[in-house]
Amino acid sequence: MADEAPFQLLHSEVIQYIYKSAEGETESGRNVTKLENIGFRVGQGLIERLTKDTARFKDELDIMKFICKDFWTCVFKKQIDNLRTNHQGIYVLQDNKFGLLSHLSVGKQYMEHAPKYLAFTCGLVRGALSNLGVKSIVTSEVSVMPSCKFQVMIQKA
Amino acid sequence: MCVCVCVCVCVCVCVSAGVQADVRDALLHPLLRQQDVSSGHVSFTSPVNMSSCQSVCVAFLMSVHLSSCLWSLAVLRKEGFLSFQTSKYRLHYYETPSGLKFVLNTDLSVTNARDTLQHIYSNLYVELIVKNPVCASTQTLESELFSSRLDAFIRALPYYSPRAA
Repeated sequence: MADEAPFQLLHSEVIQYIYKSAEGETESGRNVTKLENIGFRVGQGLIERLTKDTARFKDELDIMKFICKDFWTCVFKKQIDNLRTNHQGIYVLQDNKFGLLSHLSVGKQYMEHAPKYLAFTCGLVRGALSNLGVKSIVTSEVSVMPSCKFQVMIQKA
Repeated sequence: MCVCVCVCVCVCVCVSAGVQADVRDALLHPLLRQQDVSSGHVSFTSPVNMSSCQSVCVAFLMSVHLSSCLWSLAVLRKEGFLSFQTSKYRLHYYETPSGLKFVLNTDLSVTNARDTLQHIYSNLYVELIVKNPVCASTQTLESELFSSRLDAFIRALPYYSPRAA
């Protein structure tokens, strides 16, 4: 990814488009789902491209470390700042200066808009994991912008 | 002397309200006689004490007036209109190719604030307002992040000093 600006502007516009075209509908959770599904497809394609030359991963933790380092660097030009796990299938990825939120605010302003801007990235992570053979559910939370946490719950089939 | 910054997005500047006719005439009439055409700086002799709102309105009138009657001269110089000064303050003006106008009021000791205004536009406005999808371009700027970064930037300028009480 050469420049971040086109992706950021396109991402903001996708979000605004989805919300504008769904005006009048009462279910607001649908828009978040749509964004997550878009991210899912993008993540699937992106991970194919990134891992075409790498060796197979040893275990789940190795996969998560790849996501935190190479995958995050490719998309957001930085690594995940903190990875925590309970070794039982739950991983928490913390990014202290999330690229898509850092232009919004620092602190509490615009907090209600934050989930919209994280939905695409949740889908991205879920899509990447799914093509690596790991089925998961990814959620996000924001307490103080621009820092945010992504929680990955691995589903044992 | 203090520095106050007004950012005018061209669609929402009130032109006629708040500008007294005698103030406007006093400033516009000497315009054509006292400008320094070669460097883009304009100076006035009438000592006028104006509130910041009036000065913004006058600046807008000035830019409209200048752009209409100095068009042929502006083509020859590459800089265009940079600033004007009265006996009390100096107003710096920066217009982007996209039509955004940035206005900065300083005291008389600051000669050229063009780089400052350009920095404000490219590093602060574009980064924090244009890329912020929640800030609509036609409404007033409400981003606290933008206000705090702008405040910090202005305070760090070499020619800024807090107003003596």
